Order: sequence, then structure tokens, then C-alpha cells
Amino acid sequence: MQAYGKLDSDVRHPPAPAPVSTPVHAPSRRSLRGLDGFNFFIANIQTGFGPFIAVYLTAQAWTQVDIGFVLTLSGIVALACQVPAGILVDTATHKRTLAALAAAAIALSALMLAAWPILPLVLGAEILHGVASCLMTPAIAAISLGLVASHEIGERLGRNARYASAGNGIAAVLMGACGRLISNRAVFVLTALLAVPALIALFQIRSREIDPIRARGGQPDTQAHHSPLHGIADNRGLLVFGAGMILFSLANTPMLPLVGAIMTMRSSQWATVLIAACIVVPQIFVAMLSPWIGRRSESWGRRPLLILGFAALPIRGVLYALIASPYLLVVVQILDGISAAVLGVMVPLIVADVTRGTGRYNAALGTVGTAAAIGASISTTLAGYLNDRLGSTVAFLSLAGVALLGVILLLLLMPETRPAER
Amino acid sequence: MHPVRHAVLVATAVFAGWLVVAAGGGRSVLRAEAENAAPVGMPTAVLAKDKAQAILGKPVTSTKGEAMGRIVDVIVDKAGTTRAAIIDFGGFLGVGSRQIAVDWAALHFSPAGQPERITLDLTRDQLKSAPQYEKGKPVVVLGASGHTQPLAAGEYPLDH
Repeated sequence: MQAYGKLDSDVRHPPAPAPVSTPVHAPSRRSLRGLDGFNFFIANIQTGFGPFIAVYLTAQAWTQVDIGFVLTLSGIVALACQVPAGILVDTATHKRTLAALAAAAIALSALMLAAWPILPLVLGAEILHGVASCLMTPAIAAISLGLVASHEIGERLGRNARYASAGNGIAAVLMGACGRLISNRAVFVLTALLAVPALIALFQIRSREIDPIRARGGQPDTQAHHSPLHGIADNRGLLVFGAGMILFSLANTPMLPLVGAIMTMRSSQWATVLIAACIVVPQIFVAMLSPWIGRRSESWGRRPLLILGFAALPIRGVLYALIASPYLLVVVQILDGISAAVLGVMVPLIVADVTRGTGRYNAALGTVGTAAAIGASISTTLAGYLNDRLGSTVAFLSLAGVALLGVILLLLLMPETRPAER
Repeated sequence: MHPVRHAVLVATAVFAGWLVVAAGGGRSVLRAEAENAAPVGMPTAVLAKDKAQAILGKPVTSTKGEAMGRIVDVIVDKAGTTRAAIIDFGGFLGVGSRQIAVDWAALHFSPAGQPERITLDLTRDQLKSAPQYEKGKPVVVLGASGHTQPLAAGEYPLDH
């Protein structure tokens, strides 16, 4: 298990070159509350992007070809930018400033979309949003890691996931209502306005309480001139986890859109409300479960929880294939909440475990994010094809099969990554 | 205010104003050219604003006023006759919408003198279970009666 490098930091603490690397005090309540709020409002902001862009551009008389082009491009940006963004976050000293710039960039891209939906501006907005989002995820994780002691990080990441999913769920309802009652354009204006409370929350976090060394997963080995990706490509725990994430997102991403299409087909009056429920129900469960998962990850270890989260996905696929009632389909979405709660905590946590002492935390987090994005980009085409040719039952069962492969992979190869007790 | 800084501000404002005028003026020059270019042997028709409308992205309602989605494409046959409109129906925040081809004859533009309105002679119940429209495949059109009919062989619209 030495391969994961955790002993480096736990036994032989990285040399502390300057007093900044070891904050004397525990993080203040103000900083922790600020991080809660930042997670909440950033999740708010991100809800308007994604599939809603297609609705908005359709109403702006865009052709389906152009909309497809814009969505493909933003997918490519999400795929290509995560690792470079991670490396940048590792290198940057001021994580809070980086998070603020990313939040401002996302707000600007929302304003660009709202103000003038023409091709060059929309492409620019989507690229800006993609790059900023790639920076945002590692920046939040790095601030969290830098703020709390290593044995408290599980609980902290649980809180992050709680506030993020509360933000997502509330924003979905709010923006759905805004789109219907005011206009689709108003959704993006609202999105941009939400950057104000996000930045206020962010600046509640005291920058000096963020330990820059801990925020990148320890001190990199300065003796040898390693590449920024050293310790990633040869890290077994990280590779197995990354492969598992490809399978998970391959199976997970198309499930909600497929269920939504089925709802539209089966219920004429309630479809919209039921789809909204399918989006919001998992967020409620993530908000309830995440802190518990964060705490349990310290006592039970990461492996059993991770397997639980992965195992909920094949069960969900099989239930979707079997259940006809659109109301019961909403209940099945509780399983989505369980998976999302586990992964929301485990992705940043396991990556922190396996990169401890390497100083490459955010680059590694970007690598896992890229793996998930690869799975997601293949899956929509694949699931669409299966659904068209063989029907939704076969599509769901195939996705469940892919998800089961992920569970088996973890059972056979995934090590426990929780650091040994000091 | 410092006089130099003041001068810079004024100059900037004048320059910005010039840009706006130039951009607007440029556009009107172009428009004038386009209008002047037409008459030389080129027949033109003018469609009054209340007599014709662009339809891409326009919302469609049922005769009872229920939201039925938006027009995202138009299907024509080899003769160029409009046969069907593709409407994007249902969903929440972009999740779960379906694209359905509806008979052109079931659509009514500006009914009862309402200029921007488009209605469809179908109910949401009839629309929900219609087969999804897919590019490159025979188009199954939902008729005004609520029954689907594939466009007859040889009548497939030109693929784009």
C-alpha cells in the first residue's frame, strides 16, 4: 500500500519551508460557513447550464444542427480542460482568487448567453463556462483540503456535497418556474445575479486559513524534476478508481434523460412535474446523506461506501427496465441520490487519499474528472442508439450491465485508501 | 477631476459614440444597397408583417391553449410541399423532451386574427405517445386525427 504515498505525509510530515504551511488554529466558523454558502450558490449557478441551453437556443430560432455543435463543443472543453485546470490549481498559491475568477467567468458567460444569443458569442460563452467549471471543481476541493485537518476532510467533503445538492435542487425548481413564468432568457440573468451571493460567501473564507501545501496534497518532491502528472499514471488506486468512474458515468449519464423521455411518453399532464421530481428527489437524498457518508468514510473506510454507491446503479437500471408506473420511477430516483451522495464525497476524498504527499491532488482530481467525462460523452450516443433500435428496456438493462462491470472491477481491484491511524 | 484624465474620458466617450454611429450607419448603408440592388430585372415580393411570420423556435399551443412545444424543423417532400413540422415537446429544463413530426395540415398560423399564435389540432395525450422523429429515417407523421402515418415510399424528404 506504500504505492499510494500516504505514508509520506502521515509518518514523515512534508518539510515545512515557511510558517504558512502549518496554520496554528483550526479554521474559523466564518470560513467554514463561507465554504458552505459558496458550494450552495455555485451549484445554483451551474443548474442553468447543461441541457437547458438547448431549450433556450431552440426558442431563439436556432437550428438543431447549431445547437448540437455548441453542446458537442462544450463537451470537448469539459473533457480537455480538467487536467490542465487541475495542474493550474496545484500550482496557484491563491486558491480563493482562482475560485473567485472562475465564479465571475461563469456569471459573465451567463450574461453573454442572455444578452446576445448569436453563434460566436454563444460559442465563446460555452468555452468560457467550460474552462471556468473545470477550474471550479478542483478549486473548491483544494480550498476544502487546505482549510481542515486531514482526518476531518471526509466530513468537510460531505458538507460540500450537502450544500451543493441543496443548491442544485432549489435552483432546478426556481429556474424551471422562472423559465415558465418570465422567460428562458431570465434564467440566465438570474444565473448571473447569483454570482453576487456566491462571491460574498467566498470572501467569508479567510485566505490565510487555507494551507497551500495541504490544498495540493502535500509537498511535491523537488529533488527530481517530475512532470506535473508524476504520481498519477503509475498510481494503481487512482487508475482503478478512474476506470471505475468511466464505467459508472457511462451507465449513469443517459439514465435520467431516458427516464425523462419515458415520462413524456407515458404521462401527458404530469410529465413535467414528474421529470422535475426525478431531478430534485436525488438532490434531497444527497443533501440528507452526504455528511453521514463523510463521517462513515472515516470509521468504515472508503471501500465499502464506494461499492455501495456503485452497486445502487445496476439496481436502478434493472428497476427502470421493469417498472411501468411513472410515479414509481420517481421513487427509484432515491437510488440515484444514494449513488450521487457517495460519489460526491468519495471522488475528492479517494483522490486525496491516493495522492497524499505528491502535491498533485488537483491534477489527479482532473484526471478522474476526465475519465468520467469520457464515459459521459460515449454514453449518450450509445444509449440513444440502443433505445432507438432495441427499446428502452434493453437500453436500461445494458446500462445496468455496464454498471455491474464497474461494481465487479471495484470488488476485485480497488484497495482501501483510508490513511492508517497515526 | 484631473484635466488630463478628464480629456481622456471625453475622448473615449467620443470615440465610443463614433463607433456606435459608424456601426449603425454602416448597417443602414448596407440595407440601402440591398434595396437598391433588387429592381434591375429582379422580381421581389413584400410580405407584410401581419401576413407572414418566421416559425423556427416559435411555441405551438393546442386549440385549448395548452403548451405543445416549439417548432424546430420543417419537413418538405420532393415537390417542395411542406408536409410536417417537427416540434420539440415536453421535458423540464431540457431533460426528457421528445421530437415529434406533426402533419402540416394540423397546424394553424395566426388563427382568429392572433398574429403570432400557432395552434395544433391535437391534444397533449395524442402527442405524448407518438413515435420520436429521427433524422435519416422514414418520417412518421402524426395526423390531425391523432393517427400516425408514414410518408409514402419515394416521398421521403430530402435529408439534410
